[in-house]
Amino acid sequence: MRSYWARRAAGAVLVLLLVIAANFFLFRIMPGDAVSSIVDPRFSPEAKERMRELFGLDLPLHSQFFIYVRRMLTFDFGLSFLSQRPVWDEIRSRIPNTIALLGSALLLSSVIGTWLGVHAARKRGGFVEKLVLISGSVSFSFPSFFVQLVLLLLFAYTFPVFPLRGTVSIPMPQGTLNLVLDYIMHMVLPAGSLVLLGFGSWAIYVRNLMVKTLGKDFILLARAKGLSEERILWNHAFRSALPPVLTIFLLALPGIVSGAVITETVFSLHGVGKFLLDSILGHDYPAAGAAFYILGLLTIFSNLVADAAYSIADPRIRVGRRAER
Amino acid sequence: MFRTKVILAAFAAMAIISGAAGAGVFDLSAISGPKASDLYMVIYRDPDSQILALQKGELDVLGDITRPVDVERLSENPDVTLSISRGFHLFFMGFNLRQEPWNDMTLRQAASMAVPSRQIVRDIFSGYSEPLSAYLPPASPYYEPDVKVWEYSPEGARKLLKDAGWKWSADGILIPPGKNAPLKPFRLLSPTAQVAPTTAEVSERIAGALKEIGIPVSVEPLDFSMMMKRLDSHDFDLFVMAWSLSRDPDSLFAFFHSSMDVRGGYNIQGLHDDSLDKVLEELRFAPDRATAENAARRSQKMLSELAPWIPVYSRYMVTAVRKGWNGVISTEKTSADNMWTLINMEPASGGRRPVMWCLSDEPRSLNPLGTGSAYDWQVLGLIYDSLIAIDPETLDDTPWLADSWKVETAGEGSGRHTRLIFNLREGIRWHDGNPFSSKDVKATLEFLKKNEIPRYFDSVRDIEKIEAPDAKTLIVTMKNISYWHLHNIGGSPVFPAHILENVKNWETWQPASEPHPSQKGLTMLVGTGPFIFREYRPGEYVHFVRNDSFRLPGRD
Repeated sequence: MRSYWARRAAGAVLVLLLVIAANFFLFRIMPGDAVSSIVDPRFSPEAKERMRELFGLDLPLHSQFFIYVRRMLTFDFGLSFLSQRPVWDEIRSRIPNTIALLGSALLLSSVIGTWLGVHAARKRGGFVEKLVLISGSVSFSFPSFFVQLVLLLLFAYTFPVFPLRGTVSIPMPQGTLNLVLDYIMHMVLPAGSLVLLGFGSWAIYVRNLMVKTLGKDFILLARAKGLSEERILWNHAFRSALPPVLTIFLLALPGIVSGAVITETVFSLHGVGKFLLDSILGHDYPAAGAAFYILGLLTIFSNLVADAAYSIADPRIRVGRRAER
Repeated sequence: MFRTKVILAAFAAMAIISGAAGAGVFDLSAISGPKASDLYMVIYRDPDSQILALQKGELDVLGDITRPVDVERLSENPDVTLSISRGFHLFFMGFNLRQEPWNDMTLRQAASMAVPSRQIVRDIFSGYSEPLSAYLPPASPYYEPDVKVWEYSPEGARKLLKDAGWKWSADGILIPPGKNAPLKPFRLLSPTAQVAPTTAEVSERIAGALKEIGIPVSVEPLDFSMMMKRLDSHDFDLFVMAWSLSRDPDSLFAFFHSSMDVRGGYNIQGLHDDSLDKVLEELRFAPDRATAENAARRSQKMLSELAPWIPVYSRYMVTAVRKGWNGVISTEKTSADNMWTLINMEPASGGRRPVMWCLSDEPRSLNPLGTGSAYDWQVLGLIYDSLIAIDPETLDDTPWLADSWKVETAGEGSGRHTRLIFNLREGIRWHDGNPFSSKDVKATLEFLKKNEIPRYFDSVRDIEKIEAPDAKTLIVTMKNISYWHLHNIGGSPVFPAHILENVKNWETWQPASEPHPSQKGLTMLVGTGPFIFREYRPGEYVHFVRNDSFRLPGRD
């Protein structure tokens, strides 16, 4: 058991080092840099050269690489080329909104989707199954910006229940409770739109898993033993189908800090997604490198958590037990 | 038909102060303010939500409306007034003159005749742009209308080529004079349709038009960085590009002088013409406005003959303002989303209330020393003033922090240089109450020069000496002669000396988040402008309050 986790940890470190190296070289082999992207006749070639020096882009590549690796390992990500603010401050200011948006959307869509998927599998051909199949297809078919703009038009303009943009009203409400309620009201449409777009795929996935599981012999045995349908459904079938669902959930976790560019744009949210996109397009190496490094770390960590969660969710998967015997 | 009405109505309403007595006659001295209690620059990133917010009344002013469908939708809204003006946008196609066959001027002239600019403007922009023949946008005070116009005529283009000895192969491809092989296929570099859909469409139309006269061109869509890399390394046949220029014509030097044909230089097409170089040098180093204007006009005429670009169109600037506000300033050359409007606008009824102004993206740093972001400068431009401002109707210089100024040529022989003498206004105070004087301007220029700050590098590099003999007078001696020094120095923002002296590192300076050492509620963003910065909530808005002590020149 211990050697298994040691192997996994070593693997994780190796992947992390590869992520660090790839982040550096991938961005630099992209054509152009932050300075060459300045298209402004008021900037002479000399002024551009001065900017290149300030960004450290005039240094040899290996010097830039060592500075970069040191920064990643010490979590001192340096200054963003685009804003000249510390990259960590830039990311930190955006993470709360992004986690609130994507965390709530992931949680709600996975819970609603899983519940609907289980019930769709229980009553084949019933209303819930039809709903799941239709909603799944619809959510796959419509682009997110379209659904979000329709929601804005309906619930923020025609029936102005929710705000059009941002996370706070202007002027700002007074008092903590009012601020929290205001924040929730602002988040309903963006998070709701993501739930609307996301729950269908969860439901279809869980339904398919459950249909397969419910057809297995051990379910027949449970029914023969006279167990209640609820118990068979949740304690036997769902638990058996749980590991792949958990895998998808845990691997989706890093995504809640990577942001949602389109949603952030439509609802004018201050989030990581737009920052990441601007950093890549603007050749902001420190910002893009740091953001992908953090995402890499979270993905590796989620993988490790997923491994651990398997053994809890499914007693058949107890890694290393045989070796210990 | 309808859009024609919209444009005509908008241009007919130009040069007005809405809601003012005698509307229809523009009078700069009638402007006063600021009159609004607060200003919120609210961040709306998505164009559709911007329109919804304007229609819902959550925004009062929305500028830079680019989609024709939005213009037409808003023109039908009784609660919204549209202003349309000529801006400084210029879209063109460039040739690579370093290689055959584009070094042949006749071919370039014929290609210019093959591109149906009017039809492109009508089909793609529904008329909300104007076709171009010149090398400066029509709003520029230096625009020369009397240039050689290569009117759309594919037949004329063919005749021009035929007369110059060009022939056509059996499949209609051009054969250069004295050669037997037809032209090889060429690539027109263009941004991708995902990034710039209208540009991609215009590129396809240009390529199609060139094929019509026998030039085999296909569009090569590229990521913008990739495209810039190819242009920087001169690895291209043809390219399309758009510039947003300023009122001054010295960009012509950057675009067309042979010395700018270097890696990273703006003479992308590689034009080398000795006669033009001389005129462009006259323009760049003109001692006075008259010489500059003469050189600008001559260079445009020469360029229209040389045809290093095909100028295609210039986009109109469209701004929408909610009705219920008086005092909106809109002229033929300045759309309503300008500083004069912000100062002058007031509610048509009721007391003072905040103005909600759309900011279509996030400010990046609000560091006036480092940022080049247009969104940052929409904010910073209301805080920091410069010595001279731009008249919204004529685009001429008008007094701002300086009452008056003189541009002199001093020295002898090769040591002749420009000397700028500014007489500053009295009674101006910084937002924190400190008096403004020539020492502040001197400290600003010295700081910018000493630190070689890229954004200001080209403006201050030629400064030889800065003197502030008294609180009201500033004398700036330059190393060489150029009328444009006046705009470079006079147009730079002025920072308070007492703040600048505490800036340890200009690159990392974050004045918007540093509290002012003595004035509660203020930050280090201290200017003399019409609005006082209060707060920036990332992703949400920038909040200003009116500067009660602000006075426009002549209203002291």
